[in-house]
Order: sequence, then structure tokens, then C-alpha cells
Amino acid sequence: MKLPALNDISFEVDKGDFVVLSGASGAGKTTLLRLLYADERASDGEIEVAGFDVTTLRRRDVPLLRRSLGIVFQDAKLLSGRTVFENIAFVLRVLGTPRRDITPRAFQALKAVGLSSRAQAYPAQLSQGEAQRAALARAIVKSPALLLADEPTGNLDEEMAREILDLIKDIWSRGTTVLLATHQARLAAQLRRRTVRLEGGVLTKDEG
Amino acid sequence: MLSFVVSEALVDLRRAGRVGVSAILLITLSLTALGGFWLMSLNLGRAVGQWRDRVRVVVFLREEPSTAALAEITRRVEALDGVQRVRYVGKAEALRSLRQSLGAQGSVVDHLPRNPLPASLEVTPAEGYTTPEETRALAGRLAAFPEAEEVQGGAEWVEGLARWQHLFQVVGLAVGAVLALAAILTVTTATTLVLHARRAETEIMRLVGASEAVIRLPQLLQGMVQGLLGAVVALALLEAAFAVGAPRLEPLLQLTLGLARAVFLSLPQILLLMAGGAFLGALGGLLARGRVTA
Repeated sequence: MKLPALNDISFEVDKGDFVVLSGASGAGKTTLLRLLYADERASDGEIEVAGFDVTTLRRRDVPLLRRSLGIVFQDAKLLSGRTVFENIAFVLRVLGTPRRDITPRAFQALKAVGLSSRAQAYPAQLSQGEAQRAALARAIVKSPALLLADEPTGNLDEEMAREILDLIKDIWSRGTTVLLATHQARLAAQLRRRTVRLEGGVLTKDEG
Repeated sequence: MLSFVVSEALVDLRRAGRVGVSAILLITLSLTALGGFWLMSLNLGRAVGQWRDRVRVVVFLREEPSTAALAEITRRVEALDGVQRVRYVGKAEALRSLRQSLGAQGSVVDHLPRNPLPASLEVTPAEGYTTPEETRALAGRLAAFPEAEEVQGGAEWVEGLARWQHLFQVVGLAVGAVLALAAILTVTTATTLVLHARRAETEIMRLVGASEAVIRLPQLLQGMVQGLLGAVVALALLEAAFAVGAPRLEPLLQLTLGLARAVFLSLPQILLLMAGGAFLGALGGLLARGRVTA
């Protein structure tokens, strides 16, 4: 028997909003985010993200949706054989950014997360906090309309987690819409933003 | 974008390591075999063409005809279907030819009590009448002439040569195809290994919105580069073997096939072989599948 991972969920996030998606592990936060960036397909319902109807989006159009998104995970997912700078520049190269724009834009993103001095370091030489900053820089370097953050502080101690959340707030204050998933209720409360709570794949609270 | 795709393909080529080198070697083997048989078939084909042009049916006459009788018989032979040209070889000319072909021993003919050689008509079949069947039929028609003592010649052995040429083509294609299949599988393995090694990159590329073309082009290009490298090495080997072997084989070719010199593949044929290598590599690259998420 198949059980739906998510059920009866309906919410909207306006442009420029900062919304926290909270809930215990297994509540369906990651599944919901994956639906938003078309890594999973919903069996029913409608999803619209950044002007794209994700429910009916053709496979070949998925890259177009993802170009308007920045995505960060609990694991920074940095490419181990490349420096921090190369990790950021990689995104721009993949997307066909003109060569002359790559270096200034990559350094601008690194500056935004306070990591300019570590540009030539390899991921193995970074602390977990620095690695997550680099992941954030990689997510924002293409100026996304929406930042999806899936447990970005899950691996960090409280102080580092606060630093990362401050950075995400900075990014939001510059106009990027943010949807941040976390199971850390205390951190979620400290953010004092609108919170959508999931329990067992069901939306149980939407307030703030 | 192009520079990104090319640089990623070159990085992938390095990542393929020994399997990549094996793939290049197999493509080299496959194209060397194919090119080698092609080279043999090409030269045999030239010999066949040359001999087809030289097919003659010779009618030996019972006696040397008078000028009027010669004109009459020549006219009748020329009127036959499939005859292009008729040349009369008198007894004296036949003897001269024999002396010439005997070379240093030519003087032996001077000791003959009389000229034993018959006069003959050398009949050149028309274009399209040089097959064994056609020349046999022509010989049959000529044998029916009352002046004819014996009729010789035909195209059987030329066709035998043509069959050898065909055999070389078939064997070359078969050996080349088997090796090509092995080469494709090796390129596929090399590319799959590379895709496995670069699955983190692929995952990031998909997450940030890279198109499938940008994700797949480096692997296609990597295969093509392997194929081209294999083709270049194969051509170098063939050229070296030809440069060493041809001068040694040419006297034998001249003696057996009447071929004055062997020729190497032409530029279009070389380009075709290189394109074949690139195609093999690209096909191997395309067949590779990476198990990546996102």
C-alpha cells in the first residue's frame, strides 16, 4: 500500500518573503523542497514556483526553473577537487556566463558571505561553517529569485548556525525570497519569521 | 560555454586513465585492421581495373590471310556484338614479340628452321563485355569462324582477382567491426567510470540548472577525442608500414599483378577513417550512463 509523503498542503510564499518550514525529521520538509525544485513529482495538486507551473513542467524545462533557484543543503556538497573560488565559478561557467564576468561575480558572492580570504582554500581545508558559507555563496552567485535552504544549519554548532542564519537573513534583506527548512525549533523561533509547520506530511501550522 | 565543455572533456580524458588509454588502443587496432584491409583491397581493385582494361580474346588463324581476306575477316569480326577493336598480328610480328619477351635468350628464335607461330587477331571486347560470361560468349562466336584454328583468352582470372578483392573487403569489414565493437564497449566503460568519478559535478550541474546538452557534451567530446587519437595513431602506423613495406612489395606486385606501384589511402579516405574513429568514440561516449541523482 502506498502512503503519501505529503498530504493536504497548501500555502503561498510572496515575493520577498522569508518563510521557515519547520518540523521534526521525517515530517516531509525535504520532500516538499524537492517538489519545489522538480526533483520529485507530485502525484496530485498544483505547484507554482517563480512563475513556473512545476506540476506540468516538461523535463527539458526543469533547468530553466532551477536557474531561478538557489539551493543549499545540510551537506555543503562542495566539489572536493576544486578551490572555493572554483566551486563558485563552476556554476557560472556551467550556465554560460561570459568569461569576463565570472571572476568579479564569484568574488562578489564570496564577499557577501565573508569568505573572500578563503577563496583559494580547498573544501577539506574549511571548517563546517566556512563550507556552508561557500555553499551559500554558490547558491546566490547566479542571483536567484528564491533561495531554498534544506537544514543548512543541521551539522553546525549553535554559534555557527546563528552565523549562517544571519547570512541568510542578509541575503533575504537584499531581495531574495527565502524558504528555509529546519528541524531546530529553537532556531526557527529565534528567526521570528512566518513559520509553516509540517507533521507527518501534513501542514499543521502557518503563522507569523 | 564551448571552452567549459572542451576543458571538462579534457579533464575527463585524464580521469579515464588506463581505461581511456585502452579505449584509444582498441580504436587504433580496429582502424589499423580496417585501414590495412582497405589498403590491400584498394590496390587489388586497381589491378583488377587495370586487367579488365587489358582483357583480350585472341583468334589464332589457320593460315596467314591475304590482304583482301584479312580485310574481309576483320570486317566480320568487327560486326560482332561486344567487339571494340580488332588488331591483326602477323606471323613475323608474333615472332618479333616472342624474341622480345625472351630477352637475352631471344636469339634462340633465329635457330628455328621456320616461323612456327600462327597469325592471329587480337580482339578487344567493348566496355561492358569484359565479364567472364561475355568474353566466353564472344570466344564461342569467334571459334565458329572457319578461318579460326583456336580461340584463347578471357576474363576468368581477372574475376578471380576481383573475388580476392571482395574477400579482402569482407574480411576487413568483419575484423574491423569486431574490433570496433570492442572499442565502443571500452570507450563506454571509460566514460562510465568518468561519469562515476564526476557524479558530484553532475549533481551540482543539474541543481544549478545546466542543460542536458552541457552535461552530456563533455562525455561525447571525450569519446570523440579518444576516437580521433586512435584514428591518428592507426593512420600513422599504416603510413609507416606502407613506407617500409611498399618498396619491398612493388617488384612482386609488378610480377604477379602487373601493378607498377602500390598507392596509399587518398585524402578523402584518410578523412573518412578519422571520422570513423571519432564516430566510434562518440558512440561509446553516448552509450555511457552515469548513475547520478538530482
